[in-house]
Amino acid sequence: MSEGPMAIVKPEMKSYIWLQTADGSIQQVEEEVAMFCPMICREVLQTGMGSSKNYAISLPQRVNPAILGLILDYCRFHQVPGRSNKERKTFDEKFIRLDTKKLCELTSAADSLQLRPLVDLTSRALARMIEGKTPEEIRETFHLPDDLTEEEKLEPLRNMTDDPRIRLLNRLYARKRKELKDREKMKNIEIEEEHVDERSVDDLLSYINGGDGDSKGGRANKNKKKNRRKKDQPRNSSSNYENGNHKNGEVDDVSSPSKFSKFQASASAIFSPKLDFDDGDIDDELDPAMKEELDREVEDFARRLNSVWPERMHDILSLGQERRLAPISMNGNGSLQRCTGDELADWQFTTPLTHPRRAK
Amino acid sequence: MDNVLGRDMISDLPLSIIETILTKLSIGDAVRTSILSSKWRYRWATLTQLVFDDKCVSLSNDSANAENNLVKFVTRFLFLHDGPIHQFALSTSFSHSSPDIDQWLLFLSRKDIKELILELGEGEWFRAPSCLFSCRKLTRLELVRCELDPPLSFKGFLCLRYLNLQQVLVAPDVIESLISSCPLLESLTLSYFDSLALTVRAPNLKYLILEGEFKDIILENTPLLVAISVAMYMTDDIAEHFEQSSSCNFDKFLGGVPCLERLIGHIYFTKYLSIGNDLGIIPITYSHLKIIELYQVSFEDMKEVLVVLRLIVSSPNLQELQISGSSNASVAIEAPDLDFWEKECPSDYTLNRLKTVKMTDMSGVPHEMGFIKFLLGKSPMLDIMSITPSVYVTSGKLNMLIELVRFRRASAQAEIVFIQDQV
Repeated sequence: MSEGPMAIVKPEMKSYIWLQTADGSIQQVEEEVAMFCPMICREVLQTGMGSSKNYAISLPQRVNPAILGLILDYCRFHQVPGRSNKERKTFDEKFIRLDTKKLCELTSAADSLQLRPLVDLTSRALARMIEGKTPEEIRETFHLPDDLTEEEKLEPLRNMTDDPRIRLLNRLYARKRKELKDREKMKNIEIEEEHVDERSVDDLLSYINGGDGDSKGGRANKNKKKNRRKKDQPRNSSSNYENGNHKNGEVDDVSSPSKFSKFQASASAIFSPKLDFDDGDIDDELDPAMKEELDREVEDFARRLNSVWPERMHDILSLGQERRLAPISMNGNGSLQRCTGDELADWQFTTPLTHPRRAK
Repeated sequence: MDNVLGRDMISDLPLSIIETILTKLSIGDAVRTSILSSKWRYRWATLTQLVFDDKCVSLSNDSANAENNLVKFVTRFLFLHDGPIHQFALSTSFSHSSPDIDQWLLFLSRKDIKELILELGEGEWFRAPSCLFSCRKLTRLELVRCELDPPLSFKGFLCLRYLNLQQVLVAPDVIESLISSCPLLESLTLSYFDSLALTVRAPNLKYLILEGEFKDIILENTPLLVAISVAMYMTDDIAEHFEQSSSCNFDKFLGGVPCLERLIGHIYFTKYLSIGNDLGIIPITYSHLKIIELYQVSFEDMKEVLVVLRLIVSSPNLQELQISGSSNASVAIEAPDLDFWEKECPSDYTLNRLKTVKMTDMSGVPHEMGFIKFLLGKSPMLDIMSITPSVYVTSGKLNMLIELVRFRRASAQAEIVFIQDQV
């Protein structure tokens, strides 16, 4: 490479950029490869870092050495201008054949380096892992905690009128029963961050007192009792629920939403027939009453799935607030939030507010 | 749950990534993620780009039922949605009852929607409610099979950049005022309009696509236009109009587009341009025009031939040319002025940038061959000239080839490719 004095930049001599990952290790990378990442490019141009080992560019925390290697492979391939689209696609397809954990880390790292094409590529791969799978499969793929209560799962928006859904519900119920037992043991272990329990001691006491009787006959009375009590603690319960963390593992709330179609009846009536959860929803007691409740829930849910939208909407709108949270709405929380009935777990917005169960 | 021990990999990714992933799922799948875990409960509810189509709901045999299901799904989804909505796209083969869509549009108009795409079914066309015109932040509007009737107080979509109307029933003057009242409009597509005499006044317009039965197209104020694609259909009505026309269409259409880079004309486009071409010529040079594609050019019609010539002569920087003929080979006996091309064009004119020429559906008509000869002689940088004879030409192919071989080529590296069999 004997160039004359005029040649200042010798094409044969590569220039390198020094990068430092969060764990402290430093490596050097060919300049054109590293500059493919917008974040590195900016660092070099704006701060002039990266030219030597001492001035290595610190990469964001989400980029660990292994992932950095992968990213650099990607950059190394794609920064070559002459490649055809087909070549790039083939490379991409092979590139994302990684295990799930690596794929997630890669997405995160690419995002922090602002490498948009790679973020799109990995997101698409992750989306492909999600689409068309059942919730259990997805949870298994990504190690997601199955921490929704049973009623929360009765949320699917789609109007499914076929049986598989009911079957899935039954499966969920069966699992939930088991989990409730487990959960009781782990009750003190906070899996979910938001487990704010602001209920007053009174509530807890009254709940304990009120929740003893299992007989359905006693329900009406209890309802009344609870309703009266309800007036006293409007805000707490609602805020609890509003946060969407119903980590009490109660099956009780399961179908309160589903009951809205029945809300045409009088206030108390609403509770009596369906919500004997007040009784049965003592967590660890999966007694026959509760089981029956659950069955009824499924039935009711199925019925609601089949009910006609406009009629219910009309009902909901016309009856307005009072009907909304009927017995529970006495504390004025029953603003007509979401009376969209059935599977739209409207209960999330409504029941929490005033569900007598909340008085725990 | 033992899942707690195997660490959750995905839920803690930044929200923007989660949203990207959810956007790549069908909307039904995205909603279904609500059941996965507590963190995923409402992740779907903050999506800003909503794309609904018939696949969102489970297919059922009963189309009325399916239609109901879709309506329910969209309504409930919107109701549960939280946060701004930037894009709403609905593509369905049902023609929904208006009240539902009206309500959705009202809801969306309050959410500062930016991109709205509505493609509805064949039945009775949906009549756009007035709340559509109060979507102030709209940057993109695509409507298929609708009726538009803006209220009198409508002053235009001030942010609109992209407008695509297909099979939309709207009064002609309304269309014109709609276009001119959108000052930022960059791309305009109008398809399947009937008998429209259109004047386009859009100072920022860059891309124009027109397809339909147009009586007249006048580009009055479109100085920034970069690409034009026009397909003009013919009806008796329009043919009559053409006969009676007394102005130069070429000037009206291409008179004010100095920045033009790409011109594509289908079907009766050249015929349209040929009308009135002999009346007054505005000498414009399209110095940026790089690509010209003209389809169904009838080389037997002298007027159309003149249009082609005029375009070529006005585009010194042309790089790519594609022309498809539509002549009737059997009629090509008459021998018109064969030196026409050489005569009409300034002798020192060369197409210095022309690299690719593609002639398709060639019937061997004298003017076609004359044109090819002309091009070969005037393009010193030509790389490829490909010629495809029309399927109706059987015995004439050999004659075409014989003629071709004789033509002088200005470019030493020019390849002439005669494509025999089109599969």
